[in-house]
Amino acid sequence: MKGEFHRGRIRFGGLILLLLLGTCIVTLPWTLRSSSNFYYDHQHTDSALLPPQMNTTWMWFGTSKLGQSLLGQCLAGGVISLTIGLAAAAISVFLGVTVGILAGYRGGWLDSLLMRIVDILYALPYILLVILFKIAMEKPLEKMLGSSAAANLVVLFLSIGLVSWLTMARVIRGQVLSLRTLPFIEAARAAGVPQYRIFLRHLLPNLIGPITVYATLTVPQAILQESLLSFLGIGIQKPMPTWGSLASDGLGLALAPVASCWWLLVFPCTLLGVTLLALNFVGDGLRDAFDPKAEASHI
Amino acid sequence: MIRLLSIPVILAGLVAAAVFWSGDAGDRQRADFAFINRGDNKCLDPNGMSWMQDIRLAYGLWEGLYTADPATFKPILGCADHAQVDSTQTVWTLHIRPDARWCNGDSVTSRDFLFAWRRFLETPGEYTYLHFYVQGAKKYSSDFADYLAARKKGDTTRPAPDFASVGEKAVDDQTLVVTLTDPVPFFPALLAFPPYFPMHEPSMHHFLEKDGLHYNQKFTRPPFLVTNGPYRLAEWTFKRRLRMVASDFYWNRANVKSRVIDQIYADDGTAAFRTYERGDVDWLADLDSDLAAQILAHGKRTDLHVFPAFGTYFYSLNCLPTLSDGRHNPLSDVRVRRALSMAIDREPIVKNVGRLGQPVSFTYLPPHVFEGYVSPPGLPYDVTQARKLLAEAGYPNGQGFPHLSILYNTESLHGDVAQIVRRQWLDNLGIQMDLQGVEVKVFGEMQHTQQFSVSRASWYGDYNDPSTFTDKYKSDSDDNEAKWNSPEYDRLCAEAQKEPDQHRRLALLSQAENILLSEAPIIPLYTYVNTYMFRDQVQGIPLLANAMIMFQPVHVIH
Amino acid sequence: MTRFIAWRIVQLPLILAVVYLITFALVWLAPGSPYGNNDRALSEAAKNDLKARFHGENWEAFLAYYPWRIVAHGDFGPSLSYEGWSVNDVLSSALPVSISLGLFSILIALLCGCAAGVTAALHRGGILDLLSLSAALIGISLPPFVVAGMLIVIFSDGLHWLPSGGWGQFRHMILPAVALALMPMAYIARLTRVSMLDTLGHDFVRTARAKGLPKRTVVWKHAFRTAFLPVFTYLGPATAYAMTGSFVVETVFNIPGLGQHFVNGVKNRDQTLILGTVLVYAAFLLVLNLLVDIGYALIDPRIEITARPE
Repeated sequence: MKGEFHRGRIRFGGLILLLLLGTCIVTLPWTLRSSSNFYYDHQHTDSALLPPQMNTTWMWFGTSKLGQSLLGQCLAGGVISLTIGLAAAAISVFLGVTVGILAGYRGGWLDSLLMRIVDILYALPYILLVILFKIAMEKPLEKMLGSSAAANLVVLFLSIGLVSWLTMARVIRGQVLSLRTLPFIEAARAAGVPQYRIFLRHLLPNLIGPITVYATLTVPQAILQESLLSFLGIGIQKPMPTWGSLASDGLGLALAPVASCWWLLVFPCTLLGVTLLALNFVGDGLRDAFDPKAEASHI
Repeated sequence: MIRLLSIPVILAGLVAAAVFWSGDAGDRQRADFAFINRGDNKCLDPNGMSWMQDIRLAYGLWEGLYTADPATFKPILGCADHAQVDSTQTVWTLHIRPDARWCNGDSVTSRDFLFAWRRFLETPGEYTYLHFYVQGAKKYSSDFADYLAARKKGDTTRPAPDFASVGEKAVDDQTLVVTLTDPVPFFPALLAFPPYFPMHEPSMHHFLEKDGLHYNQKFTRPPFLVTNGPYRLAEWTFKRRLRMVASDFYWNRANVKSRVIDQIYADDGTAAFRTYERGDVDWLADLDSDLAAQILAHGKRTDLHVFPAFGTYFYSLNCLPTLSDGRHNPLSDVRVRRALSMAIDREPIVKNVGRLGQPVSFTYLPPHVFEGYVSPPGLPYDVTQARKLLAEAGYPNGQGFPHLSILYNTESLHGDVAQIVRRQWLDNLGIQMDLQGVEVKVFGEMQHTQQFSVSRASWYGDYNDPSTFTDKYKSDSDDNEAKWNSPEYDRLCAEAQKEPDQHRRLALLSQAENILLSEAPIIPLYTYVNTYMFRDQVQGIPLLANAMIMFQPVHVIH
Repeated sequence: MTRFIAWRIVQLPLILAVVYLITFALVWLAPGSPYGNNDRALSEAAKNDLKARFHGENWEAFLAYYPWRIVAHGDFGPSLSYEGWSVNDVLSSALPVSISLGLFSILIALLCGCAAGVTAALHRGGILDLLSLSAALIGISLPPFVVAGMLIVIFSDGLHWLPSGGWGQFRHMILPAVALALMPMAYIARLTRVSMLDTLGHDFVRTARAKGLPKRTVVWKHAFRTAFLPVFTYLGPATAYAMTGSFVVETVFNIPGLGQHFVNGVKNRDQTLILGTVLVYAAFLLVLNLLVDIGYALIDPRIEITARPE
């Protein structure tokens, strides 16, 4: 039982994620077709703010203030939220690993400089960075991609990714520092193997563990960041939904001390909570799986 | 282990100490009347004041020559005990009442008024243009600005303009004579408005900046601020509370019902509502509209009061020939603008987004607000006609129409309204628009510099005359964000300004509004409503469209 | 040790200076100046007030004069969005609130997080592991505004145990402190769990157990002490985060703290307020990290402080 649980946890968490993601993707032909009732921006103006109705499929989750199907919005929103999460995680992996390897392997002044930069970035106001980045990149991206919705999405995960790589860099650096002293690396260096090869062939394979773990853990962080940005009004551009923006929009009406519209919050938050917990579980499970010492921990 | 335990123990100790340090007046006595205002106070200097929440407080702290009747807000004599105007309707003689006093006991004299009015011309603020009704004021103000500019460049030869050229004179300590360029029938209403309030120079003197012209805003904080109204400013703790206490020297203090009034801060609408529910405040001046709509829909509550406000919600269309990115602007064609206006069905907007019974509006001026004013009909909702106009302009079914965007700020319900309008233009006209939600600072700048094609907008009236609305879209107005230019409109407005007969004047302004509505640089959507919450025990709060209040009669019955 | 502390103290102003410069540049670049016009903009009077104070109308004057004011007079200048109030006024009114709330919430996060993490580690693979970890991870699995709102609905609207907001007495602090504690708690629980699992596998633990020491002693007196170190490192940034407040918690509970000023300052492009709050946050972060490093030596004298890996 002891060693099995983390693997079980990964399987369990992973299964939930696949199910959810699968449902969201499979229903895209409906949630994205403007004629469909499930279309996330189809405004049924006479059916606004209705609680869940069991008789009509598209009203299973109730409707929004503008009469949009909450079910459709949740499904489409899931795809967008997870896209942002994955893209931001990918960016932070790329940056974090690069900086971490450079700092850990080269050491010396480069290490000090990079780590001081990380320290400084920790201290800077994140919101300001996001706003600035958005404003700077949104127009050029729009020209490049041809659509303002796509530009908004790209800016969003770029800006989230650009501030999420700091922990990854620190962790990778720590790993590289300890790997560096290992005999086979020393041997490769002595043999005159070029640096990039050492990075690719020797370091990276040994870093897969921490990278996977922290990448998995960055995804939920990024999704939550987007929800915070939506709460502040600088998140995803309407009418595109994400789980975070649905939660933020529904907050006032759902938690109103009078006649609450509970469905506006319950459905997006359940989806959000389940997905993020699953992601966190998978991440923790992966970390356990990659850590040999953990086998012998039962006392 | 002990060493490890030291951490939570130290933390707990620090917490206890910090609680004592930060805890404020939990034991402070509750005020006679407490309320939550519309937002943060920005500026309590009448010279710089422009936000509604500040103006509300200003009416409680100061009093002008005229003041507002607490029930109707019509101008009545205030600091002045009699006033008369000559036969040309341009020379006003105002006599200050002998028992008018500042809250520190000093007498109010004509010098206090001249000091404040002169300051408005020398250090201009948002409302300086209201002083330009006075003869020589506009010229003095621009001459003074030139003089300052020259002095800054080092040119000391240029003389300062002479204030005696302005039609504001103190005959003696108690009497003022104001000469206007044209008859202004609503001049008493202007005299009751903060830009015409007096100011207490001796208490401000200490805060004069090195340039001898500007005053450090610290003078607006207690204990320095000296005012002549029913209340004085007793306490102002940042972001927590502002306390007004009845002035012992106010001439009409017998009629001031509540001795201590508190203004409590709450940034979030739901938090504000909860503060009201707890009983910490007696009046919530601006209930969050979502909450208000929920209460109305399921209402059995008698403490929610919803009534039309003195403002209009509309969309503004860029009328310049080219857009800010260089493309040709299709909205410069009046047929396109009319088409866009006629393709919007306002019903879903007020039903699903407004949800407070906001009156749908086809006119720029709120209807039935100005006595004797006849509102023009405006453009109706007519999709067939709209499509025809669009085709005539060269975009049948929206083909070939360039990609434009609707600009709005992400606070409140603007995003929801934009979503509906965008959908309607797409369904009715085949026009694809993007949504561009930005934060309010960026929104303000973009709107002001015409970096938009369609933008959400609103306007509240400041005083009880149609010109408070019509002035906005004159070609030379700084507030004309659409940059709409109509010589006919300007002509009618100018003629109305000179017209002594009120009937003819209102007719001229109505004609002007008619031109504005048919050329459609703006698309009116609905009239705002005010949402007050106060229980039946609270007396003296008037339900006025301009959302203003005089605090004297307000009190809570226990 | 003294050399180490001295070197870190010397670094402090240097790092702060860099942070200042970068933030200043960022704010300068951001469009939408506080002087911009919107419906109701920064008044002429305030604009002129600012220009008069800083002896000039342009950015060069501002840039040259402003840092001098901070260093020499400790004066962060006037707030550009709150007219008539200086940044010092804002900071001095908000800091006590945020500091007390932050300390309280870190206390909660520490106690609950460690408890959850240790429980999970001891019952690894069991239902308690799952439960305590799930409970702890709520803080990073739901948006903070949702959790804060739900706390109010349950404990205030529903049970009427605690007030739904405001500030002034101890009972006002409880719900916001819990809401604020949830995120650090999640990380602390996770760190504790991993660290405990790691430590429990070490030889010295097995030896202790083999010697016949009761399980409780082994866990708390020996294993936890070592396992706590990574948590202790995290306490530095966690406390800095908690003490500078959270915009969400302050908005939902209507608390006059510092967190809202970070966001509102940026939204209003209030340069001086942004610089003030950022410098305060950076200073807290640096000082707390230094205290954590010094604290290491106090907790475990075996650890050579200068050799501690980053």
